[in-house]
Amino acid sequence: MNAGFQLYLATLVVYFAVYAIAAMGLSIQYSYAGVVNLAFIVFQAAGAYTAAVLTLGPDTRIAGFQTYILGYELPFPIPLIAAAAVGALLSSVVGVIALKKLRRDYQAMAFLVLSVIATDLVTNLKGLFNGQAGLALIPSPLQNELGLSYGDYHWAYAIYAVVLTALVYGVCRWLGNSPLGVSWRATRDNETSAAALGKNVARVRLSAMAVGGALAGLSGAVLVQFITVWEPNSWLFPETFVLFTSLIVGGLGNSKGVLLGVLAVPILLLQGPSFLPEFGRTGLVDSLEWVIVGLVTLVFLWFRPKGLLPERPRRLDKYRSKGLQALLRPRLNRDVGGPPA
Amino acid sequence: MSTLLPAIGFGLVTAALLAIAAVGFTLQFGITNVLNLSYGSVLTVGAFIAYLLAIRGVNIWLALVAAGAGGAVISMALNRLIFAPFARRGAGLFGMIIVTVSVQLVIEYGLQAAFGVNFMSFPGIDQGPTIHVLGMVFTELQLIIVGIAVVAMIIIHLILQYTRLGMAMRATATNPSLARNAGVPTKRIIDATWLLSGALCGISGVTLVLGIQSFDFTIGQKFLITIIASAVLGGIGQPYGAMLGALTVALAGSIVANYTSSAYNEVTAFVILIAVLLVRPQGILSEVATAKEVVT
Repeated sequence: MNAGFQLYLATLVVYFAVYAIAAMGLSIQYSYAGVVNLAFIVFQAAGAYTAAVLTLGPDTRIAGFQTYILGYELPFPIPLIAAAAVGALLSSVVGVIALKKLRRDYQAMAFLVLSVIATDLVTNLKGLFNGQAGLALIPSPLQNELGLSYGDYHWAYAIYAVVLTALVYGVCRWLGNSPLGVSWRATRDNETSAAALGKNVARVRLSAMAVGGALAGLSGAVLVQFITVWEPNSWLFPETFVLFTSLIVGGLGNSKGVLLGVLAVPILLLQGPSFLPEFGRTGLVDSLEWVIVGLVTLVFLWFRPKGLLPERPRRLDKYRSKGLQALLRPRLNRDVGGPPA
Repeated sequence: MSTLLPAIGFGLVTAALLAIAAVGFTLQFGITNVLNLSYGSVLTVGAFIAYLLAIRGVNIWLALVAAGAGGAVISMALNRLIFAPFARRGAGLFGMIIVTVSVQLVIEYGLQAAFGVNFMSFPGIDQGPTIHVLGMVFTELQLIIVGIAVVAMIIIHLILQYTRLGMAMRATATNPSLARNAGVPTKRIIDATWLLSGALCGISGVTLVLGIQSFDFTIGQKFLITIIASAVLGGIGQPYGAMLGALTVALAGSIVANYTSSAYNEVTAFVILIAVLLVRPQGILSEVATAKEVVT
């Protein structure tokens, strides 16, 4: 293997990790809480911009090169955490506005519009994140401290991204089986019943928005610190749809399916054509890729709506949640009079 | 003061463009409950049909009619071949949204694959002499566009109020199963709805390009935001509301753009949309704000 190909492989691994983290976030919002967040990519962008302006240092350093807000130079894990926090915070704000009041198909509409307008705003408010030109020279974490060669650093970053993905995977599985996860699925499957059982449906959805938003922000930070540039064209509306397609292809409501979907759609389908010999004029392959993403989604929705790895129906007794156990167990005398714990 | 009146004039022209598309969108959404996010791509197809005819020397007004017919046929075909079968399979409101976005991607990037990313404009369009009205400046072409919009709105009004088709459409929008039981052939009414909204969509694609003079494959998707804002502002399923909504969105957009920058035209539409969704999600004229089932 030559060095160029090795570098490309490492890049693919990082892309896989970024898409996987983001898709798991979207999965929580869409498959668990039933929120059609067509603006998901905006929260990834928010995380990416946060990580960028917290590592770039003041914009006066190279005079007139680029302008942006904040401009701090914070050490390694802080920008990452801040990116996740910003993603969660923005998602919550949008969630409070969109989820509480709106009829559910209007929500999708509001999200679509948000996605387009966020691009508009960032492009036009040049002082915010350098407008259309975007940010460049974003530092990668610990690049100087580790003292690795260019190629080795890429592999180190790939490993770090995969470790993060594994962590997120674990957290998502744990959350999915936790009482919160049960509430998410209950709300998705039957909103009225969940509400009747005392679940605050709006708050349950909001928590899914926040967790999903945090993962979106995190994925943005991991991506931007690797590719070191970020501009409005990096997060156009169709990018959100790639994540939806991954969920639909892989299978809704389970993290293994999400990983499989990410491997199939953004990696194989969207990166694969770069192995094919060039054909047509420039840009033709890119256009056709999007056509294929649309077609694949339709085909899967028609022939295999539950995806490659369908969500398994769960049995109640598998849950170790105290609330449910209390509901299932015959009441003891001391429990009488109070609500189930 | 000197720039405000021309801005209002520009807003009125935009309102005319917008009204055609918004009325089509709201009719179709109100009757079928399919949130059709591929509406913008049908609009783009309309623009491309007219463009392909115009560069072959066809008169632009004939091309406009062809775009309307093309939009109508494509819309109905999309519903018959894709949306309705998916809805019958039990894709709910959300599933349908994903389906329509998929269709949008396929059409839009299919057009990009075929025509590239270049900006195009209709050949040999004469803007005509400028005409001053009350301090506002219009070109002859702009006034013709406004005229087309007004005629289209009057035709829609006549169809809805005075024909059996219009009555049946309003009945289906209010209560599809009751309409069916009362003998309304809802299937045919749904077809007619998609035809009508597709025709308006195709026509608006051409008038939009005549208004802004150049376009590429993203034109419909960009315009969709303002279309949705107008339709929601007016109340989904309310054609007169959509006309009013288009007027409000377009005027507000061009006035804001006049005082800030043209980039904020779209942003204004967005702010209006969010405000309406929060304060009065049922819109100006509508009574209904609860989700319904998809009707095929």
